[in-house]
Amino acid sequence: MNQHTTRSQFIANVRAALGRSLPLVSADVTPPAVDDAVARLTSSGDDLVETFAARAASVGMDVRRCPPEALTKTLIQLLDELHVTKLVIAVGSVPQATEFSEAFRRRNIAVPDWRGDRAMAADFEADAGLTDVAAAIAETGSIVYRGDAGHGRGLMLVPPVHIAIVRPADIVPDLLDWTRRIDDVHHTQLPAAQTIITGPSKTADIEGVLVTGVHGPGKVVVLLVNP
Amino acid sequence: MTTTEHHTSASVSLTREGESILFPSLPYHMHDRNRRAVHNDKLIAAVEVATLAKDVGRKKIFADTFGPRYDSLRTLAGQIKQHTLDHLDHYLEQFIDRAEANGVRVHFAADAREANAICVEIAQHEKCTACVKSKSMVTEETHLLPALEAVGIETLETDLGEFILQIDHDVPSHIVTPMIHKDRYDTAAAFQRELGAPYTTDPQQLTRIAREYLRDKYRKADLGISGGNFLVADSGSLVICTNEGNATFCVTAPRVHIAFVGIEKLIPSAEHLAVFLKLLARSSTAQPMTIYTDIISGPKRPADSDGPEQVHIILVDNGRTKILADEKMRETLRCIRCGACLNACPVYRKVTGHSYGAVYSGPIGALITPMFRGLRNYKDLPYASSLCGACGEACPVKIDIPRLLIELRSRAVKTGLAGRVEKLAFDAYSASLKHAWTYRLANALSGPVLRAMADHDGYISKAPPPFGGWTDERDLPAPAEQSFRGWWKQNRRNL
Repeated sequence: MNQHTTRSQFIANVRAALGRSLPLVSADVTPPAVDDAVARLTSSGDDLVETFAARAASVGMDVRRCPPEALTKTLIQLLDELHVTKLVIAVGSVPQATEFSEAFRRRNIAVPDWRGDRAMAADFEADAGLTDVAAAIAETGSIVYRGDAGHGRGLMLVPPVHIAIVRPADIVPDLLDWTRRIDDVHHTQLPAAQTIITGPSKTADIEGVLVTGVHGPGKVVVLLVNP
Repeated sequence: MTTTEHHTSASVSLTREGESILFPSLPYHMHDRNRRAVHNDKLIAAVEVATLAKDVGRKKIFADTFGPRYDSLRTLAGQIKQHTLDHLDHYLEQFIDRAEANGVRVHFAADAREANAICVEIAQHEKCTACVKSKSMVTEETHLLPALEAVGIETLETDLGEFILQIDHDVPSHIVTPMIHKDRYDTAAAFQRELGAPYTTDPQQLTRIAREYLRDKYRKADLGISGGNFLVADSGSLVICTNEGNATFCVTAPRVHIAFVGIEKLIPSAEHLAVFLKLLARSSTAQPMTIYTDIISGPKRPADSDGPEQVHIILVDNGRTKILADEKMRETLRCIRCGACLNACPVYRKVTGHSYGAVYSGPIGALITPMFRGLRNYKDLPYASSLCGACGEACPVKIDIPRLLIELRSRAVKTGLAGRVEKLAFDAYSASLKHAWTYRLANALSGPVLRAMADHDGYISKAPPPFGGWTDERDLPAPAEQSFRGWWKQNRRNL
């Protein structure tokens, strides 16, 4: 690599622009406090499930609900409805019940193993990606997806449909609550990537006409498992 | 809808015409482009509808959510940004330490040339040949694409608007909605011509054509380039906000990810990030969040299946330390590139983005373009404003844009950039205001002259040179025969 500006030169330029020649003492630098009274929109006292469901629907997610005991049946019906023949699933997202695999076998639904493939070939061929979520945010109707060993990043991005299973315990009230969780985690323990998803992929670049499914999924189904 | 065979690689560089729109010869004068834009009915209609709708939408969504707290939220956001800027060395050091601990490689670019050079070197070192790119104002600023093409790296814009502009040899005209000046017919023609696609003007079908074409490119790309909306110092993370998911693809599918980020994008912690996430999309397009908010904290972990093997962040200065050092103008670096000021501005709505002759247009562009590229080169920009204040009220980080426009005007006058005639006129005007008798004398002398210049309707529509320029776009009412003071003197006894 050629010679380029070094870190110390770069920082020195910034410091000089600020009229200082010495670094600041870390302990003396305190950022403005984030006051909940100013910034919070949704509180734990609100009905989080209803708020989340309403907001998720308003940003264009297809919100379905079912009690826990009907999860498998509802999922199968959903896959029928969407004509899914190839499905990629995040590890641990659904109970590995025998009736689930049996239903797949009867319907000729292939469930390719996407793990270990950086090129995401299985994701590109799948009709849908089925995952759970790391969290859901009631304030904005968002779901949070963390990439890790059991959660390929392509599952919620590449197939034209993303089915996300959300449980009430996943839901936090406000963006403030979720971001404070990040602050509590040591930076080296953060995943390589996490994504806050707030609706299906969309654009209005051509004459302001809203179009979905530009690059990411054109359909996001939120399956809210709620007694 | 199937993709047809395409013959061109669609790896296109900006034509000379495109380059001259965002990088015109200097000093740049707005007048010609303003005039052409104002008389382009189709352009004005498109821009007006889009910007007005977003401005109205912004006000409504904040009224419906934060209500009377909107102002305090903007104050808080402004304070967070200002604090970070005032301690930028501290936060930069923290960010670099933590990002590197997470496996991110951080690079330092003093200027545009160096930023592009670093990117090219990484790409060549990693033997990359095909690149997919998401929208980044900084890469437009550094003019990155020609540098990559020069070394044979095919680079495609993936943001739908930017993609359409690229293959149509055109350039963006708005920070957030780049092809606001183009319509479906332009797009259909471009797709047919450059991609060999069947002609269709249906936006959904056009989008489908682009989606299929670009998915193939994502699979084949070995380099992904992105910008960055925020850098979180505390966690060493990069935050990217998009609606299409194109950035998510660019930072996930290829083997190498390079992000270009201006140093002013730093914020202290994730909690502070929440404040900006609450403001950004609502200010920009009246939605609660952008569809995708990617938080990248490193390359793929050993146990991960997908994700890039390398993540590089190029921290870009390119004139930002100059603005940082300018205490009055430092607050312009708070900008989070939401575009709310463009959408609020009645002048932008009439002259549209290309008239600003630079990468950054609208009210914020009128401030930072002269700062980045020299006030003498962009003297017209701070004057392209009625100082109505709409931009200042729209800004989520409370940059006092009107006050700073006046500051730049003041600097233009002080450094002799104001026209000689204008200076003479204002000197004469201030002399006439020094005493009551000078004021009365000026009125007595100018009254008959102005009345003689007026049309039969009492308006002066054409003044002789050197004042002709002023009346080109304005009519001045000629003064009445009798001044109010004269009338008062005459009639006060009768009242």
